[in-house]
Amino acid sequence: MLKNNAARLRLIIPLLVLVIVSVGFVLNSGTGTLSALGWGDIVLLCPLGALGTMLAAKLLIPQALISLGIAVVLIVVLGPAFCAWICPVPLVQKIRGIFGEPKNKGREGQQIAIAESSSGGEVVEAEVIAAPATVVKAGEELSDKEKASLKGCASGCDACASKREKLDSRHFILGGTLLSAAIFGFPVFCLVCPIGLTFATTLLVIRLFSGGDVTIALLVVPILLIVEVVVFRKWCSRLCPLSAFMSLISKVNRTFKPQVDTAKCIENSQGTKCGLCAQACEELIDPRHPERGAREMNECTRCRACVDVCPGNALSIPILPKKDKRLEGAPPLQNNDAGV
Amino acid sequence: MEDSQTENQLDESRDVQELGEDPQAKDELSKGPGPVSRRSFVLGVGGIAVLGGLGGLRFVPHGSLVRPPGGQDEDRVIAACFRCERCYEICPRGVIAPAHIEDGILAMRTPTFDFSNDYCDWCQESKGGEPLCVKACPTLALELPAGATPENTILGKAVLNTDWCLAYRLIGCRYCYDACPYEAMGLDSTGRPYVIDDKCNGCGACESVCVSLKNGSIALGATERAIVIRPLDAVQGGESPHA
Repeated sequence: MLKNNAARLRLIIPLLVLVIVSVGFVLNSGTGTLSALGWGDIVLLCPLGALGTMLAAKLLIPQALISLGIAVVLIVVLGPAFCAWICPVPLVQKIRGIFGEPKNKGREGQQIAIAESSSGGEVVEAEVIAAPATVVKAGEELSDKEKASLKGCASGCDACASKREKLDSRHFILGGTLLSAAIFGFPVFCLVCPIGLTFATTLLVIRLFSGGDVTIALLVVPILLIVEVVVFRKWCSRLCPLSAFMSLISKVNRTFKPQVDTAKCIENSQGTKCGLCAQACEELIDPRHPERGAREMNECTRCRACVDVCPGNALSIPILPKKDKRLEGAPPLQNNDAGV
Repeated sequence: MEDSQTENQLDESRDVQELGEDPQAKDELSKGPGPVSRRSFVLGVGGIAVLGGLGGLRFVPHGSLVRPPGGQDEDRVIAACFRCERCYEICPRGVIAPAHIEDGILAMRTPTFDFSNDYCDWCQESKGGEPLCVKACPTLALELPAGATPENTILGKAVLNTDWCLAYRLIGCRYCYDACPYEAMGLDSTGRPYVIDDKCNGCGACESVCVSLKNGSIALGATERAIVIRPLDAVQGGESPHA
């Protein structure tokens, strides 16, 4: 049964990736890290790394273009499933658990975080220009390039507009990542990418024990990694440009989306309040009432938490949405208490 | 992870409250939530500023490094290398190593050489002379110009420190002379080795066999081997790497 296994699998797979990469490193097999995973001549590059290096080196790199195409296709089909199933960052974030933190402060926040609807690109620009003075004062007046990047973000999202448009800080970072690579002539973000740093740490440790390679980086790299994703706990939802990239592309995603069988959902069949699926969602999506979640369905990482928690087994992740049970088919709710 | 999630949600609620108390924010809310919340904007701009700061490292001069074959155009390596670590993973002799933070933050994790155990033979042994690192590099950061050979691609130059070299204490050591595959070393009348700069391509064979450090009691105060490969510009002041 996948039910209980999904959460475990989501730990095992990233661990397995780390092990495979480590073994590959020891055996000189050329497996590569997640930055450029592959076998022999077939290599799949990180889409951001591919874009960044092409922008920085100002040249078209065939391998990078092909990888970018494959990555886009994968994201269109699977959405940001990478985040839940392969990315090692959630694994690193488990370190938090070691320093036993106060648990279960409650979930009151959930209901307050009502979906924010938004409008098109003009509003974004207006926001940018009318930015509060406090933001600008930080000693960094917005340079033209930064403004350009912001506009770039806005129009970029405009292009793939859906019913509810929302830009968040990740998209700024994505813009900054690409722009900084182009301006400074090297992939700036790759220096601090936590996925890269995770593998760098692994390889540094292997080199320490296999070759006695002692370096300050053995301290600096893991510390930077921990500061990024463990101390700053919201890396994934607030800063990760890869997540931003995937969320933008998965706006056109139509496959493998969690779907509620409204007939089975106990909100309908028993007329009770439930909302367990929305509570289980780490991406703050509400699968039952998508318009109510703090974030949109394109952020869904297919972690299956909602599927596993559903008391009525009403949720599934079908390859293609079933016509009669479409997610959109759930009765839209105008306010919070209409869902009973 | 559950913790963080709860925290996330609490945070969201806090934000909403904070926004509610701020008259300006209230105004924004009454207009309907904008596409970018103020916190997102601050975080985003802050992140961009950090990236800008990191980008500035490009203009901080850093010491040059001995690069693997195809990495002789330093600008190209810095621009196209995205630290995927394939080159040093695949190196069959394990001589390609990540540059350390001591070599500069910008250079950190880019490929350089570690000749302590072996040297670069252009994968002659395992691949018939086609360097695997160049082949493995997915972003063309390591790329050999047409007609590049081990002889005309100068990775670096061997530099002999006569203070630390055992032979210069007339011990008769000539490991480096024997190891050099390019006849780039000579022996003087007393049997002491010297480097023939014109023929040295920096393969590292001499450095990999030098035993001077293992005899630290003889060469007192030595911090590295008596013969090491230095980047070309450190030796000759930036002459073209492709002679």
